[in-house]
Amino acid sequence: MTRTPVSRPSKPSQRTKHIATALVVLVVVWATLTVDVRIERLPDLPADLVRIFGRLFLEPGPEWSYFPTAFEYMMESIQIAWLGTIIGAILSLPLAFFGAKNITSGLVSNIIRQLLNAIRAIPEILVAVVIFIPMVGLGAYPGMLAIGVHSVGTLGKLSAEVIEGINPGPVEAARATGGRPLQIQRWGVLPQVLPEIVAFWLYRFEINIRASAILGAVGAGGIGEALVQSLLYRRYDRAGMVIIVVIVVTILIDTASGWLRRRIIEGAPGATATEDRSFAVARADTDFG
Amino acid sequence: MTAATAPRVARPKRPSRSFVGLLAFLVFAVITWWAASEEYGLNFDIPELLTNLTRGADILAEFWPPDFSVVSRTIAPLLETVQIAVIASLIGCSLALPIAFLASRVTAPNLVAYILDRSILSVVRALPDVLYAIIFVAALSIGPLPGILALILFNIAVVAKLLSETVDGVDQGPIEAARATGANRLLTVRWAVLPQVLPNYVAYSLYAFELNIRASAVLGIVGAGGIGNLINEFRRFFQYDALMVVVIEILVLVIIVEWISIWLRRRLV
Repeated sequence: MTRTPVSRPSKPSQRTKHIATALVVLVVVWATLTVDVRIERLPDLPADLVRIFGRLFLEPGPEWSYFPTAFEYMMESIQIAWLGTIIGAILSLPLAFFGAKNITSGLVSNIIRQLLNAIRAIPEILVAVVIFIPMVGLGAYPGMLAIGVHSVGTLGKLSAEVIEGINPGPVEAARATGGRPLQIQRWGVLPQVLPEIVAFWLYRFEINIRASAILGAVGAGGIGEALVQSLLYRRYDRAGMVIIVVIVVTILIDTASGWLRRRIIEGAPGATATEDRSFAVARADTDFG
Repeated sequence: MTAATAPRVARPKRPSRSFVGLLAFLVFAVITWWAASEEYGLNFDIPELLTNLTRGADILAEFWPPDFSVVSRTIAPLLETVQIAVIASLIGCSLALPIAFLASRVTAPNLVAYILDRSILSVVRALPDVLYAIIFVAALSIGPLPGILALILFNIAVVAKLLSETVDGVDQGPIEAARATGANRLLTVRWAVLPQVLPNYVAYSLYAFELNIRASAVLGIVGAGGIGNLINEFRRFFQYDALMVVVIEILVLVIIVEWISIWLRRRLV
């Protein structure tokens, strides 16, 4: 047995990688060189930032008598987020079924997925400004509707992914007992996916609180309005109070909702979680859009 | 065992309704009532909403056809939107790297740094990007700079959170190997942890960039530069057909950037 000499395999081509890197560098250089920021002002920036921070929180510091007003605005933001999430959840559930490859044909699910992607691409503040403020006027309604519509994109997509991952057994069983199409979905699919989907709804509520906090800036209700008004009249003390209220309330709700989501997915303490369900939670956690 | 002789089995007992489920439903109902009620909430009234929506449908007709004569005016602001997103992503994602390592128990030098870093991160994450932009515009005046600063904070929040969770889950083997060679903490992170999480870091940064394009498109609404300025102008003068052009452009921009990002992710990771 003589060994035939083998030549060393050639190195895998790195060409596309180099092209990709070059393109990224080129875009970064273009952006940095042409952006309309006065370079000579940049050295003052750290001092400016420290000054804002000081005005908001240290001197004169947050005005505590403004707390009740700020808190009331924040409650309005939460209400907008809550009702908006419910609108999004109701609209997204049927779309998720139609967007799942294993429930409908490939063509239908593709069309629905593209539609959901397009909805996701338009930020809620834009939906509010462009569609709902012209339609129903200023106030809480346009904010709620904008959040509802935008939520449909993400919720529909994530829910469809969960539905595609179901165990086909219960569906077959439901079909074998003579269930009609809707009954098959109701008893074969829904019970399997509902915990994950409810967890997505809760996560979306957390995100929507942030979204509704900014909608006030365009007149669509909530705490954003309080911040804009305070800063318009140079009331940094009030703005500081508003920021504190937003941060504290948001963190409290995130914590409560996060605990609840884990409880829904993993079951009562001591119960063993199935691996794919924890994956579904992790998947939602990475979605900031 | 043949099916023919299968004995009749009694129907299984219905599982009892769970107390926790009932409680959860009650909480849901109470919050919804609170949010929708006239006294405490938004006075949510479906018939009124529907009449408003049908009346508003006429306004939507004004969006069509789009007035493409404004396209030339939108190019420069649109490019500024891209510039803001690129610069903010570059700076934000770079800063997020050390912050993420401090926010993971695997790589944090001590408990104090870990807790401090995580607390600051959760505070930074609690404020949405547009609120940062509003504050920075008030303090530094309008232009792209406040937008860039707001998005830098947003990027730090997103990338550091995702990356620190990835660092939590790295393979401990290389870390032990690096320690065994006498490497100090920084060298261990550089040679044992960073190579493991680098593909994730690139992917998260590209994802953050996609989000930045969407965000920077609207930051101008509060005066922080980019195409959002035009949105404000057009809506103030009820030029809905021109507004439609901006919406179409943003949609196209977002989708193109998503494609590029997917392409890059496949090439770089």
